[in-house]
Amino acid sequence: MSDLTANTGVYPIDLWGLAITVALVAVSAGLSWIMRLGVERRMLWATMRSLAQLLAMGYVIKYVILWNNPWICFALIAVMILAAIQITLTRASNIPKGLAPQVLLTLAVCVVLQISVVIELIVRPHPWYAPAVLVTMTGMLLGNVVAATAVAMSRFFSDMKARRYEVEMMLALGATPFEAAKPSISASVKMGMIPTISQLASSGIVLIPGMMAGQVIAGADPIMAGKYQFVVLAVISALTLIADSLIMILVYRTSFTDRDQYRADL
Amino acid sequence: MNDRRHRRMTGMTTTTTPCLLEAERVTCAVPQAASAEHAAPSTSRHASFRWPWKRGAAPKSADQSGQSDQSDRMTGSAQSASGTKTIFHDLSFTVRGGDVVDLIGPSGSGKSTLLTTLAQLNPHATATMRLDGTDAGGMTPERWRRLVAYLPQRPTLIGETVRDAILLPFTLKVHQKDDQGNPVNEPAPGEDTIRRTLDRVGCGDIELDRSPQDLSVGQQARVCMLRTLLTRPRVMLADEVDAGLDDENADKVGEILAYAAGEGMAIIRVRHRPADGRATRTWRLADGALTELEAHEAHRHEQADRAAMDAEGKGDQL
Repeated sequence: MSDLTANTGVYPIDLWGLAITVALVAVSAGLSWIMRLGVERRMLWATMRSLAQLLAMGYVIKYVILWNNPWICFALIAVMILAAIQITLTRASNIPKGLAPQVLLTLAVCVVLQISVVIELIVRPHPWYAPAVLVTMTGMLLGNVVAATAVAMSRFFSDMKARRYEVEMMLALGATPFEAAKPSISASVKMGMIPTISQLASSGIVLIPGMMAGQVIAGADPIMAGKYQFVVLAVISALTLIADSLIMILVYRTSFTDRDQYRADL
Repeated sequence: MNDRRHRRMTGMTTTTTPCLLEAERVTCAVPQAASAEHAAPSTSRHASFRWPWKRGAAPKSADQSGQSDQSDRMTGSAQSASGTKTIFHDLSFTVRGGDVVDLIGPSGSGKSTLLTTLAQLNPHATATMRLDGTDAGGMTPERWRRLVAYLPQRPTLIGETVRDAILLPFTLKVHQKDDQGNPVNEPAPGEDTIRRTLDRVGCGDIELDRSPQDLSVGQQARVCMLRTLLTRPRVMLADEVDAGLDDENADKVGEILAYAAGEGMAIIRVRHRPADGRATRTWRLADGALTELEAHEAHRHEQADRAAMDAEGKGDQL
């Protein structure tokens, strides 16, 4: 824990730094307003929100690390999962209501897999629940999984709507809901995986991912930072694919009635 | 016209089961606000900018609260908020193998809805049905639809080639396993069979390697019909297959359906053309009631319905 606190302030960011950052965002938002791009208010709001959330998270993680108690650590992870559900459901546009349990199950499976496999088998921190590893890794995983499942879900339901006649034709020929939904399912999983896979493939060439950059800036060995980054990226990609597939299996049935009819009213 | 029908009927084999499809208590009631619900998410996009992080949380229509309210709608009970519109109520009829039933009626009377109801494809409809003496509940909906095949009015072909599009049904589980999971022997039709049936409906110029998207709508409609016919359903529910065809090709379509009926299939057709003399029975659906017409009545009603439709400007696609 001592070297963790030592790492945090190699090139500290002071209040001015934050102010300049916000000013830059304001300039870009002003540009968007002049060009009538229509993203300025959302951009400003997202910036303020992320500043508040990241600072809050920083304090929370700091205290969780100080506390060094597994129960508090897992309570924090539970809160993160709950927030991730809410963000997934609002970010996925045009999806039917009532999908929170499916999202919860998907996120929970991912987090459990990540904690059991990655953290305890690959990183092996001491103590086993080391909040610095657990909370940050879970945060990175959830961020990716939330983005991917939200994209996949909204793509699925809009694709099912666009394929309405195809779906009805296939059902009329005796296709099961899964058979009728399958083209939409695979298109949606692919769509949700595009950013993750391209990030994985381009990392290190044109892109130094945030975690590696952060570790290097904070003075860590770049080789070690690279290894960490690879493990994190590859594992997150794998878990994201699992999450995408799982959420599709859990939600595709929503487009059909329990007598295997297509629900055009969704 | 009549003599041709009799000729076909006398040539019919008598090995078919007398009563193929029995339907009772056929009812359909749709929630009336159905069309307004589709517009809801898009109109809310420009709503006030109060909660930007709730971009996707557009107000959803009332009936999206999950599966629980579905059973209510499926049994046709009235919805509290929007109310329901009854398309038809408590119809009963039977169809025998070899029947070619023409379903006529004013536009909007629910002819297509009745066909989708019989195929168990309509979430708002209920019916008590038996096929060859087997209760509809005794098989999966997929099995039922494979045997009571609905042919949608809008032709939809998927696959790289016409061959793929026609063989699509045979890639489905319902043609490989029975409801207990045992393998079934339903081989896909061979190249010759596909070619021969295509030629018979005036599609001799369609190569099987062509992309189905290159076909005209009329050709697509016929390929769709063949796709369903080649799966050998017991009942075929044909929703305006011959719309958009010229008289000659419409006649070929009628001929192959009549041939299929001669093989023991039952056909229910919705048509917007003058009677072609191949129908053995005529039903008229109007104001939620289904009546079986005598031959001379059928002609008169059918002409009146078509005249009304012409007047509405949505005449048949000749």
